Amino acid sequence: MLPLILIVMIVSFGIFSLVPNPFAALIENPRIKKADIQRLIKAWGFDLPWYLRFFKWFSGVIRGDWGPSLLYPGSLARDIISRALPVTVRVMALEFLVSLVIALPIGIVSAVKQYSVTDYVVTVISFLGMSMPTFWFGLLVMMLFSVVLKRPSGMPLLPAGGIITPGLEEAPFWAKLADRAQYLVMPVFVLAFSSVGGWARYMRSSMLEVIRQDYIRTARAKGVPEHSVINKHALRNAMIPIVTLVALTLPGIVGGAAITETIFNIPGMGSLIIAAEIKSDYPTAMIGLMLISILVIVFNLVADIVYAWVDPRIKYS
Amino acid sequence: MDNREVLVDIKNLRTFFYTEDGVVPAVDGIDLTIHRGEVVGLVGESGCGKSVTALSILRLIPNPPGKIIGGEIFFHGEDLLKKNEEEMRMIRGDKISMIFQEPMTSLNPVYTIGDQISEAITLHQKIDGTEAKKRTIEMLHLVGIPEPERRFSQYPHEMSGGMRQRVMIAMALSSNPDLLISDEATTALDVTIQAQILDLMRGLQKKLGMAILIITHNLAVVAEMAETISIAYAGKIVESASAKETFKSPRHPYTYGLLQSIPKFTEKKTNEPLPAIEGMVPSPYHMPKGCRFNPRCPFATEKCREEEPEIVELTPGHLVRCFHPIES
Amino acid sequence: MAEKVIEAKKKGQRKSSDDYTYVGMVFHRLTRHKLAMVGAFMLILILLFVFVGPLVWRADPNEQIESLEGMFNVPSRAHPLGTDDYGRDVLARMFFGGRISLFIGFISAISSTIVGAMVGLVAGYYGGWADDLLMRFTDAMLSIPTFPLLIALASVMGKGIGQIILVIVIFGWMVDARLVRGLVLSLKEQEYIEAAHAIGASANRIMWRHLFPNTLAVLIVSTTIGIGGAIIYEASISFLGFGVQAPFASWGNMLQNAQQFIWNSPRLIIYPGLAIFMTVLGFNFFGDGLRDAIDPKLKL
Repeated sequence: MLPLILIVMIVSFGIFSLVPNPFAALIENPRIKKADIQRLIKAWGFDLPWYLRFFKWFSGVIRGDWGPSLLYPGSLARDIISRALPVTVRVMALEFLVSLVIALPIGIVSAVKQYSVTDYVVTVISFLGMSMPTFWFGLLVMMLFSVVLKRPSGMPLLPAGGIITPGLEEAPFWAKLADRAQYLVMPVFVLAFSSVGGWARYMRSSMLEVIRQDYIRTARAKGVPEHSVINKHALRNAMIPIVTLVALTLPGIVGGAAITETIFNIPGMGSLIIAAEIKSDYPTAMIGLMLISILVIVFNLVADIVYAWVDPRIKYS
Repeated sequence: MDNREVLVDIKNLRTFFYTEDGVVPAVDGIDLTIHRGEVVGLVGESGCGKSVTALSILRLIPNPPGKIIGGEIFFHGEDLLKKNEEEMRMIRGDKISMIFQEPMTSLNPVYTIGDQISEAITLHQKIDGTEAKKRTIEMLHLVGIPEPERRFSQYPHEMSGGMRQRVMIAMALSSNPDLLISDEATTALDVTIQAQILDLMRGLQKKLGMAILIITHNLAVVAEMAETISIAYAGKIVESASAKETFKSPRHPYTYGLLQSIPKFTEKKTNEPLPAIEGMVPSPYHMPKGCRFNPRCPFATEKCREEEPEIVELTPGHLVRCFHPIES
Repeated sequence: MAEKVIEAKKKGQRKSSDDYTYVGMVFHRLTRHKLAMVGAFMLILILLFVFVGPLVWRADPNEQIESLEGMFNVPSRAHPLGTDDYGRDVLARMFFGGRISLFIGFISAISSTIVGAMVGLVAGYYGGWADDLLMRFTDAMLSIPTFPLLIALASVMGKGIGQIILVIVIFGWMVDARLVRGLVLSLKEQEYIEAAHAIGASANRIMWRHLFPNTLAVLIVSTTIGIGGAIIYEASISFLGFGVQAPFASWGNMLQNAQQFIWNSPRLIIYPGLAIFMTVLGFNFFGDGLRDAIDPKLKL
């Protein structure tokens, strides 16, 4: 795992090092003093050759010193990022759970009733989900639920952006929860729509593969009732490749979240990174990128462990 | 004649498969009788319908694309084809058990073998978990697996092919069934292990007294084990007789051809090639007109090419489907 | 039982495979796959739209109408899909935007596949530390969420069509590399490879002449589906302002442009998005059918 993280850090750093003059935008900005820019150059090590610069950056990052934010002058990058991270994690976790809970059962049903109407419907919906550009779908959903459909009061049915109604930050837990829910409904739905499609299809093909196996025939020949054949004998085997798959598609989800966050104005890591990239705040962008990559790597590690636990043929060394 | 009670009586079984490329008449009118405690061999080449017959008895034919479209299968006098799924489920693994060809893939890789055998026990007998575990260990011991207590918690991938097949046998016999169907159970094993497994089965048969239906393409296997042999070709039974009769005086040209093609040790060495039956098994989509064996039969006449022969009892207990059976 | 059906099927196909070649059989199965044919149909329509369209409806996609009345027109005879914020004819922009989006999608997908295949072949064939190194690198790249990285690279490398293609390829080769490597690992063990070794074939020859053709089938499927993905990437990047720049139209940057006008002219969002959606759907349907046709075991 560690070498992976190292490589990720190198790649993140490397990409932003490709920028010819990272401070170009700042120099143009009349409000920023020359002296400040000099300070930044020193702080970021741009007065040093690139290999030394990397070490300087690396040691700074490890220590937690992530420098000032160029996006929001006056704040530390670290504060901004640590506010954004939990938001993304919350949205991702929710979306992940929702997708899993929906995708797996329909995948199973689709496999068990292969070629039935249910199967075809599920297949088509899966394809729709997988082919839909997330941001377009997001825009459409937003148009529908915020512009076209309105509440009796005249307000949009679902809020078009943000994650909390201003003023409710100090409200009691349940009120906050209900309020948050309405903001999260659309983004989670949009994100989940694409992952559900892919996962349901994989669950389906994994189940189909497993149901054809000899040991399923043995189970039936033993007199095991059909529901047990599916839910006990087949399912456990079918889940094994799904664990790997889920771990593999995670970077895609996190990536897709970035654009969804931007559209729905959710102050998470995704929109932060993109905003940083657009506004040339490369240091923040680098760290942000690195952090979500590390998140993904950690998640993959968890997936590996789950995999070893589920499949007795694997010995985890 | 056999005085024992008739256990299984298959009459005119027809199981067809409806595929994209056409209809496959896998089993097209098979008759077979198994008596209590009898060891019956069902022999034939790949694709002749023998496995499908076995699966039809247990009604395990996958519904698309297969279907049992006709015939009757009497078990203890009741037609299995008229039973509902729940009734069949109670028979499977309890009164009729089956073991399969591929021990490597026939056991569920994510559960211990102990669990899998215990499952078979608790499904059909009203005993609790601990009692089932005891019985499982007894069964493992019975089939000759050393250190059964330790093996109980092992997974299939930790065992060799021969051992896994023993586990399958233990699982199949755990509820003391009336009939054990062995579908090419030794084909995938190497010869020494094969001999061991056959010995085991023979021993268990003497001890437990169940009937066995041995399905194989290997005549050597049935020579050792079976009392009665039925030869299948292209979905039909072409000859059926006691083992002795089948080997001593085969009457159907196909059986004769099969026996000829077995390499034998003789006193004089010859450099002649091993006689083989000419031609190939017919494609199920294009069955020949008349007797299905006629394109390959050295004795075929015009009649054979036009009409299909019926089963005839040439001598008591010896049935042949041929217009010109070989002289005895 | 399963063997019976497979034997029966093999016998049936033994007959028909005498009549068909391998490619013929694949084609035969493909044409019977409903979704694949729907996909093919959709793709043909889109290709016709994009390439033949401008011959039928001649309008300049870049011609602007400077008056207020020219902007945001509702579909009419003069402008079947209306006009945009610069008074440009939307239908014409759809044609040309489509060409660019499809071009980018196609080239990126093929390039990623080629790069990925080469990496996978080398890693799978040589194994050992080369394999380890390459796979670590691939894994690391796969862990980085593609999209922000795409934007990162795009912002660094500048805007334009060439850059987009490069960026998509840089992040697209990993999937094929993994795929090919896995395949090569299992193919390597087969006897004909041993035989090739035994008669003294060089590593290069084994890789290209023996292993590669067997991966071709999987790669074709991967590319087909990859085109869909690449088109979405292009659209996403352009959507954020990094990709194809004005005055060129691509479906992606048309969407980006339209975003600000979501309230008064939602139509401008619907057209390009729908086009992207249909195109990707078509590729996905077709690619899936192709996969089933090449390896029908999965369908059974």
